[in-house]
Formats: sequence, structure tokens, C-alpha cells
Amino acid sequence: MKEIQRISPVVFKSSPLKTEKRDNWDVVMEYKEEGDGPFLVDLSHRPRFDLQDSNLADKKSFELELPETPGNSVLENGILASRMNRTQVSLFDLDGQDDVSMPGESYYTDVTESTVCVALFGKEIFLICEKLTALDFTDPQRKAPFFFQGPFSHVPCQIVTLNKEGESSGIVLTCSRGYGRDMIDSILHAGEEFGLKPAGESRFTHWIKSL
Amino acid sequence: MMNRFNHLPTLKIDTTKKLAFIYKGKKHYGVEGDTVASALFANKVRIFGRSLKYHRPRGLYSLDGECSNTCMEVDGIPNVRCENTLLKDGMVIKEQNVKGSAEKDYLGFLDKMDWMMPAGFYYNVMHKPAKVWPIAMKQIRKAAGLGKISPDYEMPGKFDEIFLNTDVCVIGGGPSGMTAALCAAQKGLRVILMESRPWLGGFFEYRSGEYKDGQNLHERAQDLAKEVAAQDNIRVFTHTSAVGTYNNNLVTGFQIGKKEDVFDERYLEIRAKSVVAAAGCIERPLIFDHNERPGVMQIGCALRMAKTYGQLPGKKAVFSIGHDLGLEAALELHDLGLTIACITDIREDGQDADLLRKIEDKKIPFLKGWVATKAHGAKIVKKISISSLDGQVSKTLDCDLIVASAGMTPVTGHITVAQGTLKYDNHTGFFLPDKMPEKMHAAGRILGLNDPLSIEASGKLAGLQAAFDCENCSIQEIGEAKKALESLPGPVRGSKLVTAPVKGRKSFICFDEDATIKNIKQAIEKGFDVPELIKRFTATGLGPGQGGIPGHNLPLYVAKYQALSDISIRPTNVRPPLVPTLISTYAGVNHKMFKITPMDEMQKKDGGVFRNIGVWQRARYFSNDFTCRKEIENVRNNVGMLDGSTLGKFRIHGPDALNALQRVFVSDMTKVKQGRVKYSAMCNDDGCVIDDGIVVKQGENDYYFTTSSGRAGQTVEWIRYHARYDGWDFALVNLTDSLGVINLSGPNARKVLEKIVDIDLSNEAFGFSEYKTFDIQDTVPVRAMRLGFVGELSYELHVPSSYMKSVWLMLREAGKEFNIQNFGVEAQNVLRMEKCHIILGQESEQRTNLLDVGLGFLWDRKKSDAKTVGAVALHQAEGDQTRLKLVGFKTQNNSRAPRDGALVVDDKVRGYICTARDSFSLNEAVGMALVEAELSKIGTRLEIYEDECGDDRIYGKVVAMPFYDPEGKRMKM
Repeated sequence: MKEIQRISPVVFKSSPLKTEKRDNWDVVMEYKEEGDGPFLVDLSHRPRFDLQDSNLADKKSFELELPETPGNSVLENGILASRMNRTQVSLFDLDGQDDVSMPGESYYTDVTESTVCVALFGKEIFLICEKLTALDFTDPQRKAPFFFQGPFSHVPCQIVTLNKEGESSGIVLTCSRGYGRDMIDSILHAGEEFGLKPAGESRFTHWIKSL
Repeated sequence: MMNRFNHLPTLKIDTTKKLAFIYKGKKHYGVEGDTVASALFANKVRIFGRSLKYHRPRGLYSLDGECSNTCMEVDGIPNVRCENTLLKDGMVIKEQNVKGSAEKDYLGFLDKMDWMMPAGFYYNVMHKPAKVWPIAMKQIRKAAGLGKISPDYEMPGKFDEIFLNTDVCVIGGGPSGMTAALCAAQKGLRVILMESRPWLGGFFEYRSGEYKDGQNLHERAQDLAKEVAAQDNIRVFTHTSAVGTYNNNLVTGFQIGKKEDVFDERYLEIRAKSVVAAAGCIERPLIFDHNERPGVMQIGCALRMAKTYGQLPGKKAVFSIGHDLGLEAALELHDLGLTIACITDIREDGQDADLLRKIEDKKIPFLKGWVATKAHGAKIVKKISISSLDGQVSKTLDCDLIVASAGMTPVTGHITVAQGTLKYDNHTGFFLPDKMPEKMHAAGRILGLNDPLSIEASGKLAGLQAAFDCENCSIQEIGEAKKALESLPGPVRGSKLVTAPVKGRKSFICFDEDATIKNIKQAIEKGFDVPELIKRFTATGLGPGQGGIPGHNLPLYVAKYQALSDISIRPTNVRPPLVPTLISTYAGVNHKMFKITPMDEMQKKDGGVFRNIGVWQRARYFSNDFTCRKEIENVRNNVGMLDGSTLGKFRIHGPDALNALQRVFVSDMTKVKQGRVKYSAMCNDDGCVIDDGIVVKQGENDYYFTTSSGRAGQTVEWIRYHARYDGWDFALVNLTDSLGVINLSGPNARKVLEKIVDIDLSNEAFGFSEYKTFDIQDTVPVRAMRLGFVGELSYELHVPSSYMKSVWLMLREAGKEFNIQNFGVEAQNVLRMEKCHIILGQESEQRTNLLDVGLGFLWDRKKSDAKTVGAVALHQAEGDQTRLKLVGFKTQNNSRAPRDGALVVDDKVRGYICTARDSFSLNEAVGMALVEAELSKIGTRLEIYEDECGDDRIYGKVVAMPFYDPEGKRMKM
């Protein structure tokens, strides 16, 4: 029998320097020549859940108060909850330290496999984003974290802006898993002039903890 | 190359840095900062090209690319606007629209044939006798158009795009634009400032006149630019033209890249809360005989040639102007060494007294109320005739340069494109903004202002108004800014003269299209009495200059010629792009965004030939034999694997999940049993079948269903739409990408699968149409279904996408002893066609209903019509004999299969072929067709017509379906 392995939809050309086996994923912790930023990190292995219920007002998820207004997000204890609409919340485990499993209630669906998930962070990331989308990440009236559902490189995406201040700026983006190859190509192409490089999960962990 | 000034603070060239370029096959040199046009001019090139219709010589005129005079072929790209294109080392520049050379054009004789080509001649002449016109038309088409391009030409260069959001977008980086930007930025707003030239400064930038307190205009422009640069919240885009303004303050533009940029040109799309239009003025061309002869140029062109590019535009000049800028330019150029033979000013009075005094001091001949009437010189200017405005007195002077301008014209395109309106203003002679578009404000010279302080004050006011739109400014502040503006000099009186006192046979109103004043008169006399009609009839303003030259002259002349008592006539509509650019710039980067399945890479390694199918890229073949014979035979006789991951997959859950399914599926979904799959279809309100798939029950109020690949993106919205009034409590999750699908098919499929799973796969334990879930190696959760789309024993395995490769490899390993093979989408297409299983979109089109394709058995007629989408229409269609029916057919006389889409005909079209192939399983050509009901009887002969088949027809006979394994034993084995 072949070894069972989970394959991420994201493939970087960079050579991994350090990897970690986690739930059958080969998670790259660090790549060679990651540069000084901005960085693109594959988070497709991080658990992601869809929560849909007609009565979200009563609900907490992972002990988290769910955001009430569509477009708002909350990041607490490594769980990122984003309100999509009246009945739907998207949940990302960005911490990755503990093995987060999906709560048993029927209104949850595991959507980890549905999407490609990447983090894009560093000083000039919004200059990269504006090459790919008309979404306004730097709107002064919006306080991070906040959530967009809209096109990025012409593909419907969910994007959470976690920070929009200088070097700490960063977003987490998901789109249909099938678009992984082309989405990564278009982001890296757009980011080439700014020195965007693929980076390992360690870089992301360091960044998210700094927020 | 001529000597260049290098002492002027306004220069934008660096004479120490030489750039080589090739012109007419010979190496020439320009300097860094030169445009192609200024470099050519420095190399004594005066004739840049020839005009469209008459092949008249053309040269520098506006320096802003307002006409096609200086369009040339640069590095193989035709119609490059050389006045706006910066010179790069190694450029290869060629003339265009010449037969011979620009200097000696063999088609130059056409200039004398103008009498044969009156306005709209192609509508009038050469139409009788009728047979002449096709010949004439070909010749006209050959002659039409500027520049040549091959149909397979590939555009070189790098193109990019950016999508920006801002509070305020300022169009125009002159003094009013910069002031508006600063004002809005100081309110804490995000500002974008667009300037079409490569630097900020606009009308102040190249001038030495006094701004205030001894500071000159150039210095003031520099100061403002520095202030702008110091504001973090102003993003400046120089060498960026705004080309469109749309509803909701969307502004589009394009930027020309600098040497260090990663793009040659990039498209900009800016969403702003408020827009300031501060694009200033261009000059209104003075119309006189031969007013476009090389050597005739506008004031700004002549002055900027010296002040910006360091070269005198001629040796001896005559000025014929209607604006103080002309006086200022004459003085400056005189000081730089240009001999001024005479200045003629259209205006009888109203000149700036200080400028007049200086002209007198310098002893420059000056005539008020005089105007140029004719430029002399066969190819370039040698002399000029001038006359008094009434034409009573005239004289002729030697010169090689005529600086000519009737006055100014506001650049109002950004306002009118956004549906703002203009109104003629008798004081300025301008068409001024009347009704501004919502949240758009005009500033600067566009309002007729000329005084430097007034220009800036109007910028401040517009900046505050924009800030008000962004809820960042008080009414009181705006009131104060208005008062400040009102206390300063207002718009100056403008010159009203449109044409010199000439007949106009060679007086050009539109250079691009070689349209003369005489042509306009001809059009008016034919009854085309408004500019929009005249524009079409004479082509005035339809050239690459986007109407820059005829601009406001056309309506002014039309009003004058018709002796209209008031100028109610409006300028013609301008449309985006207001400035011409490359289609490649609009195309932008063009990232190809396709979806791939988890098996993409492995299937490529296995020799998969991929095709774009909808949003997906799929392996359609696994060899270069596109009949797929081996793939098909392998599935029929052995076992094959297909990657079906593109299938739409959904979870629906919640108390009303079943209600929602009942609404959109035609079958009775209460009959979905746990452990079984139910095949059903969805229709639209017309009963037309739009999708099909299977449904399984996963638990209480919890279902999993599939759709076709093509419809997956619309399914969630489709169901929500059809349940929009019911208030039902259900949730949908699109799992299409979450799960990959492996279709393991063929008589040996069971033997392969049982090697990797621990469950009983016997027909009794896991029968046809059954559904099971299990884990492979206690790790990989699999949803498995016994289906038979290809007509063989088949297992459809739904596997988490990340595990797909592992499971695929396991199956391949397990199937090694059977020589398991891949099969692609085309093989699947043939296999299912032999079984007469339909693919929606292939065996159906927009009008095909459920009954037409023989799926009526899926429809549960006992369900309430009102609760099933399409049921009412299906009831109505049930007895309709006029509808097309899906039939199976075999070809006769061993002929090949017709192509998909071929028509079924007799004396008219009676249907069409949906899918037909030469079947290796059946050793004959078979297919399915949608035909009129009367042709659907078994045994009916079908006459099949293919494109370009002439009298050769393919004949088929309607037969029973399915063709292969009609009892379905093989898929149930």
C-alpha cells in the first residue's frame, strides 16, 4: 500500500527547508530564500468550517462571540470568525497549535478541502492586491479584521484583512480549491515587482502572533 | 542634431545623456527626456507623415498628441503618438501612410484631387451603375486607415492593470488639480492625482510669467509639486491619462511606464467618492488656408519645444494668436533667440498691458485685429499671408514658423462623458460646464479662469467640495472658499473668431480626417445642420485624435455659418477612451484563471491531453487518437479510471432541506432512502431541463447531491432563489472542490476496488444504485456509489480532495494486474452515448424540456405543481406534438458518424445531431438527435446535412435506445 498523504492545492517552486508532518499533510515550515517580505504562505491545511443556522444570535463557536454584522470578523485564540450573511459564518483555525476538530452540531460543515487558503502579508501587500482586485482593503472606515466576499484575480474569494498598518499588513484569502494553481501564479506574478516570495508556516505564525 | 538649450530651469531633458534611435534606417541621436517627436525635430525632421485622405505633409502641431500629425510606426507598432511617447535607446521609427517617403509621397497628388472628394463623397459617388461600387469600395478601403498591422501581429511589451479605491480622484496635475488634491488630502482623505504629462505642473510648469511676489509660475508649480509629494495620502500618477468617467465616479485611465517600471503601459480603474475635473484647456486651432502645414504650430507647442525640450521651434516666426499666452510665448521665444517677424492678434483689445509694453520695448511688430490667412510653402512653411479681420488689408511675410491659435478650449470630455452638460458662454467664448455630474467638481482653466491665483482658488474650492462629498468638510468652509474665489479675477474675455476670412477649401478643421471648412459647408448645404450629423457625414472628429482638433471649433463654426442668433448648438459627444491607447493596455495582464482537479498533474504525466471545459481544465484524451478507441475498449472489456472531480457536489441541511429539494427536483424526494442514490433532474419554470444529478440522504434533514459540472457554480443561488418567499430554514454548502471523484468502471472494477477496501463489494452487499460510506485504511473517508453512466459496472468514489492522489495511486497499484488505464472525458462521452445516457447541454439546449429528452419518468406528477419548478409547464407540454424529440439513430450504408450539430433536413431543417460517433463497441456509427416528433418513429430515415457538404448527405435511421446493453445487465453485474 502506498503511504497516505494529503496534498495541498498550493505548489510553490521554492525549495522547502523545513517541513513538519501533520494529519497526513507535509506542512512546510520554512522555504529557502524567503526574502524580507512580503510573504505568501500556504494555509490550505488549516481547518476551516462553515457554520450555517437560522439562529446565530444564540450561538458561540469555539467559545467565541460570533460577529453580528456581515463583513465583520473576529480573531480570538487563533480562531478567525467572519460573518458572511444573516445565517452564515466562516471559521478558520489560524493558530494551528492544537488539533482543532469540527464541533459535532449538524450546522457545521468541514470546508477545509473546499478551498485554497493563503496568507499574504508584509508592507506592500495592498499594492499587490490592487493589481488583482478592486476591493478596498485600506478603507479608513473599516477596522481590521474585516471580511470581503468578492473577486480577486477574477475569482470569487473570501478575504479577511487582519491588519492594514505598514509592515504588519496582511490578509488571509480563500477561493475554490481548483483555482489554487492559477491563483498562486497570479498573486506571485503581481507580487514579483515587490519581492513577494513564498514562505513557510513559521513566518505566518510569527506574524499572526505579532498582531 | 541641433544644439539644445541646457540652461533653462524648465527643461525636462538631460543633454548629457544621448539616446540612439533609427529613423529611415539611419542612426540618429536624441537625449534623455526627449519624446520621439522632439528628438526627430532636433534631427531636423519637419515632415513626420502624411495625412489620411489627401496625403498632405504633416508635422508638429500640439505637442500633446491632439491629432494624428505625428503618428508614426515605432518598434513595429503603428499609430504611436510621437509627441507623447518618450524616446528610448534603440527605437526604430518609421513614417506611415506614405507611398515613398514623408518627404516625397507619390500619393501627394491626391491633395489636388479634393474636388473629387466632397463631404460624404463615398455616399454619393461611385454608386451608379451599381456594379462600380464594389470595385470602388475596395479601393477606398485600401486607402482608408492609418498604419498597417498584420492580423497575426503579437503586441510586444508588458501590460498591467491596477484597481484603485480613493476618496477623491483629481484629473489633471496642473495648479488647480494640485491645489484641489492638497486641500482634500489636508482633510485626511485619500487622494489620487492623475496627470497626462510625465510631470506635474500643467499650465504653470513651462512658463516664466509672474505668479505672485516675484515668484514665477514655473517655481510655483515646483513648490506645489513638492507639497503634493510630501503628502502621504496623495498618490500621484504621472504620464497617466484619464480616458473615461462613469456613473458612481468610476474613473479609468492608462499610465505609461518609466524605464524602471515593470510595465510599459497599465490600465487604471479608480473608484472614487468624488472627482475633481481639472484637465485645463487645450488651444482652439486657428483655421486658415494650409493651417496644418509643417511649420504651423500652436503656442504651447512652440513655447514648450524651447522651454521643455531645449530647442527653438524655428528661426523666424509669425504669431497669429487670440490669447495672452501667445504674447507671453512670443516674448519668451524672442529672448531665447527666435526672430519674430510679426505678431498678429485676433483681438482688437483686451490684451495684458504689461505684455504689450514689453512687446513694444522689444520692437516686435504687433498688429491688433489681424489674422493669418494662408501658410505658403509646398511642403513646409516658407511664408505667411496675414490680413485684417475683415480681409480688406493683407500682407505677406517670410517665415519658417507660424505660431497660430484662436484661443483656448476647456478640456471637458471627463465631464460630458459622465453625463455633465455644457453651455456656451458668450464672455469667454467657451463651452463651459453647466450641469456637473453628481459628486464631480470642475476647477481651474476648465472654468475659463486664467489668473494664476484664481486658478488655485478654484482648485481649493473643488478640493473642499470633494471633501464635503466625503463628509469631511463643512458648508461654511466651502462658503469661505467661494468668497475667496469671487474676490479674485474671473474668467477672461475670449476670442470669438473661428476662421480667418478665407473660402476654406484648404482650411482644415479636422486634421485626422482631412476635413475642411468647405466640407462642413457642403454638409450643411445638404441639410446636415447639427454638429453630430456633420461629424458623421464629414468624419470630422472621428480620427485618432478623438476630436481634439475640431473639438469646439465645429459647433462654433456651424453656429456661425448658419447665422444662429444664439449658440444653442452643443459640441459633439466624446466617448471613452478620451485619449487613444493600446488595446493591449485594456487587455491588461490576462491571468488565465481555470480550475484544475487534484489529479491534474498526474494525468498530465500520464499523457492526458487537456482542454478547457467551462471553468475547468480536464483531460479529454489520453492519446493522440482522438477517437479514444483504446480507452473505450479498455472500459468495455477491462477497467478504467476517470477523474470526475468537476462534478457539482453539495450538502443541504436543516429542517426544510427536503422542502427545498422537492421544490427544485422534479422527482418526489421524500422517496430518497438512506443507502440508496436517487437520480433526478431540475427544470426551469418553462419545464426546460437545466440539470441532473443524484441525491443521497446522509441523515435526518441532511442530504448530499450532485449536479453537472457546468451548473455547479449556479446551484446554490438557484435553490435559494426558488425558495425565496418561503422562509424555509435550510443551508447549502458547495462541496464541489472539497471532494474529488474517481469513476472506476469496467467489468474488473470490483476486483480492483476490493483490494483497497475492507467492505463487502459483492453485488448483493453493494448493489446498483446503492450508496455507502467507508474509510480506506481507517483514514480516508469515502462516499461510494454504484452508478452506470458509461454502461458498465462502475463505482463512483467521492474522496476528500487532498487524499485524491493517494487513493488514485492505490487504485492504480491495485489495478496493475489488470492493466488498469485512464480514460478521459471524450471516451466517457462515447461510452455514455452508446448507452444513450444524456449530457445536458449536449442532448439539450435552452428550449429542450424534460419530456423531449425522454426523462419524463423522473417527474412525479402527483407532487403539487406549485411546489415543483417547471411542473406547470411540463403539464402543458405533455401533449404537444410540435416539440423536438430525442431519438437514437444509426447511419446507413456504413457511413461515418455525422458531426455534432449537423442538421437533420428534408426541404427544411427538422432537427439536429446532438452527439454521434463511430462506435467501436457496436462496430457502426450511432448517435442521438433532437428531431421533430413526426421523425421520431423507429425506422424513420434521417437526412443529415453538414456544413459545406454540398449535395453529399449522410443518412441515418431512427432506432431504439439504448444501443448498448439495452437491458442494463452490465452495469448491474
